[in-house]
Amino acid sequence: MLIRLENVHTFYDGEKNSTLKGITLSIGAGEMVCVMGPNGAGKTTLLETINGILPATGRVEVFGRDARRHGPEIRKDIGYMLQAKTFPEDTPYLVRDVVLMGRFGKIGMLRRPGREDWNAARDAARFMEVDHLWDRPIGKLSGGQTQRVLLARLLAKNPRILLLDEPYSNLDCRAVEDVSRKICILHERNKLTTVMVIHDTAHVPAICDRILLLKDGRLIGDAHPDEMLSSRTFRDAFAEA
Amino acid sequence: MILPPGIVMNTIIGASLAAVVCSMIGVFIVRMNLSSMGFCMSHAAFAGAALGLAISRDPFALALGMATAVALILGPVADKARLQADVVLGTMFSLTMALALLFLSIAPGSVVSSTALSVLWGSVLGITTTDLIRLLVLMLTLLVVIFLFYKEFFAIMLDRKLAEESGINTKPFYYAILFLCGVTVSVSLKLIGGLLIFALMVNPVSSAYQFSHDMRWIMLISPIIGLASSISGIAASLYLDIPVGSSIAIMSVAVFLISVALSPKRKRGQKC
Repeated sequence: MLIRLENVHTFYDGEKNSTLKGITLSIGAGEMVCVMGPNGAGKTTLLETINGILPATGRVEVFGRDARRHGPEIRKDIGYMLQAKTFPEDTPYLVRDVVLMGRFGKIGMLRRPGREDWNAARDAARFMEVDHLWDRPIGKLSGGQTQRVLLARLLAKNPRILLLDEPYSNLDCRAVEDVSRKICILHERNKLTTVMVIHDTAHVPAICDRILLLKDGRLIGDAHPDEMLSSRTFRDAFAEA
Repeated sequence: MILPPGIVMNTIIGASLAAVVCSMIGVFIVRMNLSSMGFCMSHAAFAGAALGLAISRDPFALALGMATAVALILGPVADKARLQADVVLGTMFSLTMALALLFLSIAPGSVVSSTALSVLWGSVLGITTTDLIRLLVLMLTLLVVIFLFYKEFFAIMLDRKLAEESGINTKPFYYAILFLCGVTVSVSLKLIGGLLIFALMVNPVSSAYQFSHDMRWIMLISPIIGLASSISGIAASLYLDIPVGSSIAIMSVAVFLISVALSPKRKRGQKC
């Protein structure tokens, strides 16, 4: 198993009650998993716990290593897309800077990005169709363009795991379709393990292996999309929210 | 007022070095919204100087020590309490000011308060060779540190969370930025004083921002603008016989206003 959580409780500093409550789950290499649930269910917290950003009790293992102790190292192989990330208009960074930054962890300290890093960044930008924005300031892009640039940034990293927090926010219908197709191509071509938070059942990719259903910080369902989307548990989770 | 050439030369070199180091560190301050840093450090230094007077020790050494100590504890405290650095700075500001007043009330004599106030207002004409060496060492240290860890600082300045996501352990770099800010304020204090040092940290960077969306360019041009403000400020001070610190600060504001007026970012339809 590439990702393993055992009885995980995740706490935000200063809060007595845990946001995630006793989560136990495993995700194997090459799986595509969608995380769904009503607002405040703990979906983003789950991704940040896997990414080793948040303090948690229980066991959080990624690549067989403790995610809390080896956070910076494991993050070199994880592409984590933050939820609805935007940049102020006067942000003094260009698209190429943002895409290349995806490589920084891999390059290591005291070393400069080389030709290989620039090529990886350029290829990623080309794949996400943002290479024509290469020299544009990041703050001047539309929400959809920013989302594509951030995805390109993840790809430049050449990760083994993709953690995507609402990757379709800020995108119009056509762009959702296009980005969804690209995520699926990448997932299969690069044999990635993908964990994706989504809200809309229409956005569940055809190649999705499982849907994890969260509510109030608890894992209340884990099943194949066909089974999950037609289940009573799924309907009830949203009906009561 | 006619000044000996040695003093004028020391003033010019000192002001130039201070302008360069302040603008270099100012890039971090402006980008990371640490604007209260200048105020807080200067008042911490003021408290240190007051303490020095109260216990009959070197006021400038204690000013440096206090500002550096505040810079050192700022990052961990902000992280631990999950507070914005600006919030912690605001609290530190009131604490250091209160301590300064307390120490001054303990200190004997009336002359001492003027010494403490010189930390706030600066005394560029009294700059010594030792001060110049300190500034030079600080400038070289900043250059080396920024050169070695350029990509880490570059990423953290965009967004700490994104940098963390890239696999960069941001904590030590963030603390290093705060520490270097504290040291820069402390070492530059004697030049234009704690109250005006802010001008040299923020104004040149804010001016550079008016002309570019490229962080590399801003990092390069800010010290040059700071240098120009500083030298023109000294020239105006000598010509008009006004205090050097004030003159440099006014000049840096003038440069900023001119930059805003000329900025291509503000011209309608301009894609900058």
